[in-house]
Amino acid sequence: MWRKFLILTIVLVVSLFAFAEVKNPDTVIVATIGEPDTLDPHYAYDTASGEVLFNTYDCLIQYKGESIKEFEPRIATAVPSVENGLIRDDGKTYVFPIRKGVKFHNGNELTPEDVEYSFERGILFDPAGGPMWMIIEALFGKYTWEDVVMDHVKLRTGKEMAYSDLFDENGEPKPEYAKYLMEACRDILDPAIEVEGDSVVFHLVRPFAPLLYILAQGSSWSSILDKETSIEKGLWDGDPNTWWKYHDLPKEESPLYAFENGSGPFKLVEWNREQQKVVLERFDDYWRGPAKIKRAIIWGIDEFSTRKAMLEKGDVDVCYVPAQYLSQVEGMEGVTIIKGLPTVSITSLHFNWTVAEDSEYIGSGKLDGNGIPRDFFTDINVRKAFVHAFNYDAFIEDVLNGLGVRVPADLPTGFLGYNPDLPLYKFDLKTAKAALQQAWNGEVWKNGFKLTLLYNTGNEARQTAAEMLKYYIESLNPKFKIEVQGVQWPNYLSAYKRGLLPAFIIGWLADYPDPHNFIFTYYHSQGVYGGPQGEAYQKWAQENVDTLIEQAVEEIDPAKRQALYEEIQKIAIENYVGMPLYQPLGLRVQRSWLKGWYRNPMRPGEDFYAYWKAE
Amino acid sequence: MLKDEIKKNTRKFFRNPTAVLGFVLLIFFILIAVFAPLIAPPENPDNPYRIPIATWSLKPQPPSPEHPFGVIGQRDIFYGVVWGTRTAFRIGLIVAGISTIIGIVIGSIAGYFGGWIDEILMRITDIFMALPFLVAAMVLTTILGKGLDKVMIAMIVFGWMATARLIRGNILQVKEEQYVLAAKALGVRDSLIILKHVIPNTIFPVIVQVSMRMGSLVITAAALSFLGLGAEPGYADWGTLLSYSRNWLTEFDKAWFSIVYPGVAMILFVLAWNLVGDALRDIFDPRLRG
Amino acid sequence: MIAYIVRRLLLLPLILFGVTILIFGMLELLGPEKLVSAYIRGPEAEKVAGATQKIIEKYGLDKPLPVKYARWLGNVLKGDLGWSLVGKQPVLSAIFSRFPYTLELALWAIVPVVFVGIWLGIISAVHHNKFLDHFLRVFAIVGWSFPDFVFGLFMILLFYTKLGWFPPGYLSFDMERVVSSPEFVSYTKMVTIDSILNLRFDVFLDALRHLVAPVITLAYLWWAYILRITRSSMLEVLRKEYIRTARAKGLPEDVVINKHARRNALIPVATVSGQMIISLLAGTVIIESVFNRPGLGRFVATAATQLDYMSIIGGALFYSILLVLGNLIVDVSYALIDPRIRLQ
Repeated sequence: MWRKFLILTIVLVVSLFAFAEVKNPDTVIVATIGEPDTLDPHYAYDTASGEVLFNTYDCLIQYKGESIKEFEPRIATAVPSVENGLIRDDGKTYVFPIRKGVKFHNGNELTPEDVEYSFERGILFDPAGGPMWMIIEALFGKYTWEDVVMDHVKLRTGKEMAYSDLFDENGEPKPEYAKYLMEACRDILDPAIEVEGDSVVFHLVRPFAPLLYILAQGSSWSSILDKETSIEKGLWDGDPNTWWKYHDLPKEESPLYAFENGSGPFKLVEWNREQQKVVLERFDDYWRGPAKIKRAIIWGIDEFSTRKAMLEKGDVDVCYVPAQYLSQVEGMEGVTIIKGLPTVSITSLHFNWTVAEDSEYIGSGKLDGNGIPRDFFTDINVRKAFVHAFNYDAFIEDVLNGLGVRVPADLPTGFLGYNPDLPLYKFDLKTAKAALQQAWNGEVWKNGFKLTLLYNTGNEARQTAAEMLKYYIESLNPKFKIEVQGVQWPNYLSAYKRGLLPAFIIGWLADYPDPHNFIFTYYHSQGVYGGPQGEAYQKWAQENVDTLIEQAVEEIDPAKRQALYEEIQKIAIENYVGMPLYQPLGLRVQRSWLKGWYRNPMRPGEDFYAYWKAE
Repeated sequence: MLKDEIKKNTRKFFRNPTAVLGFVLLIFFILIAVFAPLIAPPENPDNPYRIPIATWSLKPQPPSPEHPFGVIGQRDIFYGVVWGTRTAFRIGLIVAGISTIIGIVIGSIAGYFGGWIDEILMRITDIFMALPFLVAAMVLTTILGKGLDKVMIAMIVFGWMATARLIRGNILQVKEEQYVLAAKALGVRDSLIILKHVIPNTIFPVIVQVSMRMGSLVITAAALSFLGLGAEPGYADWGTLLSYSRNWLTEFDKAWFSIVYPGVAMILFVLAWNLVGDALRDIFDPRLRG
Repeated sequence: MIAYIVRRLLLLPLILFGVTILIFGMLELLGPEKLVSAYIRGPEAEKVAGATQKIIEKYGLDKPLPVKYARWLGNVLKGDLGWSLVGKQPVLSAIFSRFPYTLELALWAIVPVVFVGIWLGIISAVHHNKFLDHFLRVFAIVGWSFPDFVFGLFMILLFYTKLGWFPPGYLSFDMERVVSSPEFVSYTKMVTIDSILNLRFDVFLDALRHLVAPVITLAYLWWAYILRITRSSMLEVLRKEYIRTARAKGLPEDVVINKHARRNALIPVATVSGQMIISLLAGTVIIESVFNRPGLGRFVATAATQLDYMSIIGGALFYSILLVLGNLIVDVSYALIDPRIRLQ
């Protein structure tokens, strides 16, 4: 019996080899990690979601090829500028003439009302943690729709309240406030975005230089929805009296969570969550003409070796390869590697000037050799020593395989305000030593100190950065102790956010390619990374840089903006506010038979419309 | 009597070639663990489990006189393998030790007293056994937060039930034996009876069980490292080294050393315990005697 | 006998209730601050201040324990296990939609694991303490000593990269399109079964091709277990009186072993095999990730990697229900078959 079983097995196995691999010439398969978070354009805020939305929806304008500074029309027929008269009132009014003959995937025609509706729905929806703050900041100078509403309530009642105070325990608006809710929608939101003839007009409360970036293709939050389908599906119905029902719904309750009816070149066929796979199919009625390929598949394959093996066999066309494994794909037959593409992100280390009281990462909390005081980093000498105790060039060369460039401050190359002549911090242990000898009146040098640096596990670059800093600081004085500890990403996030970390390494990926997005984030006292740098830092920022940052974003003249941003960076550099570690350089690994790829760092993932396959 | 038994069993043990192989391997690992500070002197004696950084480059570097097992992820593999031996013993001994003690205590109480106490304790045992071991350890480690200590806690919390059941079953059997009944009739205290009569008679199966578990605990810890729940890269632990090196596995010719050395160490370690356990089981299994 | 079954059935809800307390207890170890990370994610979520507090309020994460347990249990009974961040869908549907894949893999794996394992065990017992015995045991224990992911990746290296025979994944793209087309009726969601029912043998063979490597991996990792049980059970039987009698009668050795010994030796093995399939269901956690197959194991593994507490808790609950029910079925059916079991 066993023999029979064996023979059967062999026969079966042999018959399996008979199947030849079929490579699909009309399908592009992308092997990546993870999968979209949601397909609601007003909720999605990650590149995986952005990639799907990029290919299924259209925005008003788009970047011109590889440029991140120039635009081309898309749904709008012209890019607004002061010269063509579509930017008016000193930059407070933007006019977008809307293209005719554009079809949504279900055949409906795109109208200016659809554009108006799309933005209004997004602003009213404004989910916590979502991307809508960008448009809200541009239009109203606030960061959430709730802030806009409460500002209005305060104006009408003179009372300072929380948004939740407007509602009773059943979640219904209290009768006395219902009116103000309605007014916020009717009198504030509605006039901000209006249809005028064949155009849509945006009215800003003040000039806001980066607006066009926020609207360009790749900014999924500016995707154009079909009003009719949206209302059918259960999105906001346009009634100013009931908008609050559609505000800040949980991700999964949005009807657009896994559904799309955009006007983009591809239709969503399937989002297979069991296989982490998104299947897109060509939209034949696309207004720019149908795409060259029939099908596009984005497939999350988490295990690197598996992903790489599939690239090698030609079963996938594009493969995500982390920088440290570059040598594994170099020289692979039939594979093209493109290196050194500047990205629009920065990774840097910042100090916490006032560590939160219950932090477990500052040892004893005193300068007794077993810890650091909470305000350790308020002393400029300490910061000066740290920024000089890091071998920046070795880090980029060895750890990043050369896939990084140095930047003087937290602003990527190629951005307005970037100036290559600003000084880079030097790796100089003598300076570091001298600074530490002076720090805290010599107490630091005499007693030593101990602190913990965290990194998020799995991020080898950050781990090595922390270890490198530890290595050099500890080499200065045997009494200096830095512990390096790995925690998982969500824990890392909550620790730095609560101000528990004495110093933190963190990256920022541009939402839009304007300096405001970086300078505000890292240096402004209200920036996302301003808070975790502690109260003392916020105070310093208010006195030294906040006004300049606010001035710079309202300025329209690029030359003046350039000067302002340079000044801010100079102040930051001189005060050793942070250690910009590197700006990563991208790595593209794909089969050579995939044609049509072009680089644009603002694009989330692939632009399948441009692709075709040929030997 | 016990002495003769041990003598006889020892002879039996050493006549079995696989048992001897296992035993020799085990001695070898114990020596490495004990003399780790001499074989691979730590740079920082306060924290010897941190593998010192050999280079900043993340590329694997083949064995050289300076780094006899090569370098992976900036770390010296030789150092990691040597100190990893200690980690492996630590995981095995602490987890198997503590969970066995818990199991013995719970099993003895349940078995000896019987009745309601037994019922409640056994149902609690059932509840803990309702979760598959790997899944349970995974869940608890995820919740406690990553780290080798958390992995060990999780494996202890979900690792005592088999011992408890075994002890209880054996005690139920022993309880019926004449000498225990006699001791009870003479009014000897319960705790004394458990200590003097019951435990010695049930301890061999427990020893077999412990030795069989030692190896698989190290494997489970490695599985948790694979999921990113174990020690962080750079910690001297075979599972962590392997899980780090796995992204180089398909480049076997470029980075074989990063898989082979920690891999062989782990396999031999588990093999040693299993062979010893297997042999002990053959010896102590009453059904196979005679 | 009836008393035994009734007792087991009565205990069932009690055990399950205990499991919910155990699992809820683990969840509570997190505290509200960390539970929040179950609801918001990624650096982008941090770009807006105040989200944390809002989420704590929204989901009642700061309420007292009994209130939370009641609320949680109520939700669980309604089938609401929360939202799965890695599954991108409700936890319950995430689990149900992934389970058939895992079941399929486990069912295929059980065949070589048990049959080859038994075969090895018998050979080993028959050659007790001879070279073949030692060799097979060391061979099997080496498999047992491999971390799953290392062996699995070796299989990929060998069978895919070097030989190009067995690709990772679940189905090739062409076949996947066949399966998702409307003509292909999905009866069980297990493609090897569905393809036969749809008379699509090309799909069947393709699915099989993707199954070979993970099944070999699982089999090699688990042989030691079956081998050990078969071997000791066989050894026990071989010492029994009737075997000695049979040998004394001068029956040829293979008749003794095949006709008399094996049948009796396999009773305990059968018990174990029933539980084996349940163990295999949990044993696919890492294999599925390595071979990039969809399934419950990979779901739970990803959830653990990404700290998706809701999913991992839901997965644990599902596994434990599976285990409890599976064991019940196995035990009761053996109690019916073999009265000796009940006495233990």
